[in-house]
Amino acid sequence: MQQSPRVFITGVGVVSSLGLGKDEFFRALGEGRSGISVVEAFDASGLGRELAGEVKGFRARDHLSAAEARRTGRCSAMALAAARMATADAGLGGDALRGPRTAVVVGTTMGEAGILEDLDQAWISRGPTGVKRALIAKYGSTLLPIHIARAIGAEGMVLTLPAACAAGNYAIGFAADLIRRGRADVVVTGAAEIIQELQFSGFVRLAAMAPQRCQPFDLNRQGLILGEGAGLVVLESEAHAMRRDARLIAEVGGYGLSCDAYHITRPHPDAAGSIAAMRAAIERSGLTPNDIDFVNAHGTGTKHNDAAETKVMHDVFGARRVPISSMKGMLGHCMGASSALEAIGCMMTIETGIYPPTIGYETPDPECDVDVVANVARRGASNVVVNNSLAFGGYNCVTLFAKPGVLPPPRIIGRAA
Amino acid sequence: MKPLAVTGLGICSSLGIGREAFLRGMNAPPASTVSAKITSFDATAYPQARIAEVVDFDPTRYLGDKGLRTLDRLTKLLIVAARLALHDAGFKRDNAWVRSSGEQVGLICSNAYGSLEAITELDRVATLEDARYINPAKFPNTVSNSAAGYVSIWEELRAINVSVSDGNCGGLDAVACGEIFLETGRAEALLIGGAEAMSEALYLAFSRLGALDAQTPIGEGAALLVTEVAERVAARGDRSMGELVGYGTAFVAPIHVGPLLHASQTAMERAIADALADAEVKAADIDIVASGVSGLDAFDDAELAAIAKVIGEGVCVAAPKALLGETLGACGAMGLAAGLAWLDGAPPTPIVRGALRTPSRAVRTVLVTTMGFYGNASAVVLRAGTN
Repeated sequence: MQQSPRVFITGVGVVSSLGLGKDEFFRALGEGRSGISVVEAFDASGLGRELAGEVKGFRARDHLSAAEARRTGRCSAMALAAARMATADAGLGGDALRGPRTAVVVGTTMGEAGILEDLDQAWISRGPTGVKRALIAKYGSTLLPIHIARAIGAEGMVLTLPAACAAGNYAIGFAADLIRRGRADVVVTGAAEIIQELQFSGFVRLAAMAPQRCQPFDLNRQGLILGEGAGLVVLESEAHAMRRDARLIAEVGGYGLSCDAYHITRPHPDAAGSIAAMRAAIERSGLTPNDIDFVNAHGTGTKHNDAAETKVMHDVFGARRVPISSMKGMLGHCMGASSALEAIGCMMTIETGIYPPTIGYETPDPECDVDVVANVARRGASNVVVNNSLAFGGYNCVTLFAKPGVLPPPRIIGRAA
Repeated sequence: MKPLAVTGLGICSSLGIGREAFLRGMNAPPASTVSAKITSFDATAYPQARIAEVVDFDPTRYLGDKGLRTLDRLTKLLIVAARLALHDAGFKRDNAWVRSSGEQVGLICSNAYGSLEAITELDRVATLEDARYINPAKFPNTVSNSAAGYVSIWEELRAINVSVSDGNCGGLDAVACGEIFLETGRAEALLIGGAEAMSEALYLAFSRLGALDAQTPIGEGAALLVTEVAERVAARGDRSMGELVGYGTAFVAPIHVGPLLHASQTAMERAIADALADAEVKAADIDIVASGVSGLDAFDDAELAAIAKVIGEGVCVAAPKALLGETLGACGAMGLAAGLAWLDGAPPTPIVRGALRTPSRAVRTVLVTTMGFYGNASAVVLRAGTN
C-alpha cells in the first residue's frame, strides 16, 4: 500500500474554432463568442447542413517542423500543436520531458479520418495501385500520441483511447491514474478530432444536426453542430511539480466511468449510467454533491442528451440548483476533443471564477429544468468543477477538477473503493 | 503489480473458436492456418493472398440470427469472443448471469484500425452515389469504439468500457489498464484483450506497405481474457488458467529525424526489464517467450536481440503469429492466449530460438512481447496460477 500522489494540471494547449492558445480561447469563452461558420474543408452544400465549429487559420507549419508537418495528418498536427502549447505553458519545453517517466495518452473518436478518406478516394478513383505507401503510413489513431512523444522525447506509455465523445475525459482520467499508480510522473494528455465529410454526412443521416444553431437545454433545440480541435494538458505528480516549483492550475480529482449498454448512439433515457459516473467522480474525489460549484455539461443540444443530463443533475444534486452550462453552442460538438477542450474551459472557471455561457438559450424547456448559465458568462464560486461527457457506444465519463488545496488526500491505490 | 487471475478465455482465432477448440489447435496445430478460401472479403483480385482468417466463423451459431444485419465483422468477432469468455468463466450460463452482474463486469479492448470494412463501404457510397445515401444504421460502425460499444449492449456490461489503441502493443497495454481499473474497484471482473477484423482495405494497406511476410500470414481474430483480482479468486477457492503478474512498456524514437516506422530494440529491452521488475521475477524464471516475431526482419531482429540481452541467449522464444497470423491490435491478446495454452501443457510451436529447459507441461512462467511499428514495445509476464 502506498499513498496515492496528488495529480495537477500545470499546462494547457488549445487548437479550436474559438482561437489558438488558451488566452484567445478563454477570452472567447468568457465573451460567449461563436466559432461556428460554413465548412470549408469540403463541399457540404448538398447535405442540407453546412455549419460547423471548424478551425480556420490553423497552419501546421506554424507549430510543427517541416518533417513533422510532412508526417502528420490534420488531426495529429492539431494534437501536436496543442501539446507544444501545453508543455510551453507548463514551462516544460525543450528536453524537460525526455525520458521513460513521461507518458502520452490521447483520446479521439476517429483520429486521422481525413487520411483514410484520401486513401479511399485514391483507391476508388485509381485502383489498388493508386493507394500510396506514404499516405498509408500516416493513418491510424495509434499515431496521435506517437507524434507527440517523438516531439517531446516522452519514452513511457503511448496510448490512444478511442472513446468517442467522452475521449478527452477518458484520457485525462486515465492519465491521472497512471501517475497515481506510479507508472509515470508526467503525462501529456487530452484529445483531438477533425471534421471530415463521411462523419459529417453520417450525423446528417442520423438526423442529429441542427440547421443553424446548437441550443443546449433550449425548448426548441434542434440538435448538434459538429466541431473540431485539440485540447492537450500537462498532468504532473505533486512531487514532480513541487521539485520544479510549477504553477498549479488545478488538481485532478477522481473520475467516474460507466457504460449504458443500451443503444449505440442514444443515451439511456433513465440516465442511470451517467448518474453513476457523476456520483463516482464526486465520491472518488472524497467530496459530496454539496461541494460542487459548477457543472460543465456535455450539452450537445439534442433532445435525448440534454434531457438525460437534466436527470443526472436532479438525481445527484436534488433540490440544489448547481449552475450548468454547455460550450457546444460556441465550439460545436468537437466529438473526441470536446471533453478535453471543455476540461480546459473548466481551467478558466477555476482560475477566474467565470462560468462560460450557453449561447443560443432562449426558451426554457420544462424537461431541462436546470440553472443554465444563459447567453452571458456568470461569476461564481469555482473551487470544484465537474466536467460531464456522454458518448457513442454508451460510454460515460465524468472528470472533476479543483483549485489546488481544496481536495482531501487522494484514495490509496490498491484499496477498492 | 498485484496478480490478476485469468478465469476464462473467449477467443475467435485461426486455430478455432472457443477455449477448447483453441487449446486443441495449440496442442496439435495444423500444417497451415492460411485460409484455403478467403471469406471475409471478395479476394478474387488477390489470388496470392495468404490470410489466417478465423476458421468457420458463423456468428449466428453463438448470437442467433436477429440483430446482426448491420453489424460488421469486427463487431461480430468481438461479441462472440465476449460471450464465450463470460460463459467460460462461469459468469453466464445460457446467456443469463449466474455470477456477479453486468454492473460489476467491464471490457478493456485493444484494436488498431477500427472497422475499415464499414468506413470504406460508406466512403464508396458517398463517392460513387451520394453522401445522402449512406446507411445511417451502418454509420455507427465507422466509429472506433463501436464494436466495443456493441459488446456492452449485447452482453450487458455496464461497469466500464474502455477501448485502447497502441498498434500491436494495445493488447498488452490493455492489461495495464485493467490492473488499474480492478485495483481501484471499478469492476469485479474485466474482459481484457483485443480484436482486429480482416477486410480488403486492411489487406490492401499491408500489401502496399510491403509488410506481408512469406511465412507469417496477416490475420484476424478476437481474444478476451476474463480477469479478476487473484486474491479474490484464491479466497473463493477457484482455480485460474494463469496470472498476469507484470507489465512494462516503452517508446523510443529514432535518433535522427526519420520516417515514422521504427523498430526499437531499446524500447523492447526497457519494456521487458520493467515487466520483470513489475512481476518481481528474475530473467532466469522465464521459461519461454511468446514473441511478436512475424517475419519483418528489422522488427524481428530488434525484438530477438532485446530478448537475448535481457532474458539471455538461450531462452526459448516462440512465434505464435506463425499460427495465429499477424493480428495487429489483437496480437497482444493472442500472445497471452498462446501463453495460457502453454501453461496448460500445449507444446510451444513454432520455436524460433533456443529450446525449452523443461518438458512443456512444466512451463510455469511466460513472457509475452509485442513490438509496435513506431518505436513502441510492451511486455507482460504471465505465470501459472497459484491454486
